[in-house]
Amino acid sequence: MRLTFINGSPRGVKSNTGILMGHFLRGFFEKDGNVCDVEYLVKHRKDPGVLVDIYKKSEFVIIGFPLYVDGMPGSVKQFFEHLAPLVGREGNPALGFVIQCGFPETHHTRFVEKYVAKLAKRLNCRYLGAILKGGCEGLAIQPPFLTEKYYEYFYQLGRAFGLEGAFDATLCAKLARPEHLSRENLEQVIPFVNSALWDMLLEQNGAKDKSFDRPYQS
Amino acid sequence: MKILILNGNPNPDVHDFERYLARFTKILEEKGHGVALHTLRDMKIQPCSGCFNCWVKTPGLCSFKDDADKNARAFLAADLVILASPIIMGFISAITKNAMDRIIPLIHPYLIEVNGEVHHMKRYDAYPRLGLLLEKESCTDDEDMTIIHDIFKRAAINMHSSLDFVHYTTIPAEEAADAVDIH
Repeated sequence: MRLTFINGSPRGVKSNTGILMGHFLRGFFEKDGNVCDVEYLVKHRKDPGVLVDIYKKSEFVIIGFPLYVDGMPGSVKQFFEHLAPLVGREGNPALGFVIQCGFPETHHTRFVEKYVAKLAKRLNCRYLGAILKGGCEGLAIQPPFLTEKYYEYFYQLGRAFGLEGAFDATLCAKLARPEHLSRENLEQVIPFVNSALWDMLLEQNGAKDKSFDRPYQS
Repeated sequence: MKILILNGNPNPDVHDFERYLARFTKILEEKGHGVALHTLRDMKIQPCSGCFNCWVKTPGLCSFKDDADKNARAFLAADLVILASPIIMGFISAITKNAMDRIIPLIHPYLIEVNGEVHHMKRYDAYPRLGLLLEKESCTDDEDMTIIHDIFKRAAINMHSSLDFVHYTTIPAEEAADAVDIH
């Protein structure tokens, strides 16, 4: 199977989307003969036509992106607009998505999931589904006990996809947990992320005392 | 009321939308509202790069020095922000989404609980309400309209705002402007 993975993260190579897909592809490559072309949307910004051509010629495409302001990043939307000439075309690739967000609950991604499902229909693509995951900000600095399970699910999803050309719904559902946080979890997770991620980064940049600055206050 | 309209029509040759928006803006002004109209296609706004410098390095300020700064300032000064856009491929235009992505310096990275969910904390005391003024594509259906509505209802939560209305240019500009008053 030949897969095209379009990494739509504005962070490009150093993205959480890329880290997750790296584990997916590790599983995907386990089947002999499987090949994946990885394309970075940020690298095609000046000439999106090249990426549209790659898309057109692909058999399977997975587009990955982080949640930005509850939807796709503007640059990903721009790419979708470049696909407009392909609406309803026969022979468009099978299309799937990987959508991740920094919020700990996967629920935040469920709204844009409806959009991408409709987009696949609009493009007359066979819809592979969407792999959704919350809690993905700062994956590179999250402790392994948090990330190991996600990575294992991505690996298994990739392996199953490499064999069957479909997203395993049971694995997707397991990966998506938690959809929501319990009261107890909210009370633990919020101060943990604020301290372990945001305070750490603010301190690293010597900006903690300016954290609440209001530069646009009139 | 201070109203900021972000015109997200990427194509000035779509005359119907431009005419509608000009009429809509004029009626709002005649009603005594202070209206600022930002035409996004004429502004230089780079896509958000996801660096988070606006949260952890220069809190409240984006590293890119471009016209998104004008939007951020006007956004905070407004009582109501109207995103005016043709629907393209089932969603608001990329330039409108891009402009919204660049608003994140206005909120704080810290997480808080809002109605049992995790969202971001306020940076400022108050934020404007949001409204959408959209032009349908020939294929726009109820499903598309629900998707857009639901995504912006969510975005409003994160902006400590509310989505007051979603109007379509299928209703007369007078009616759309009257409805702004009601909200």
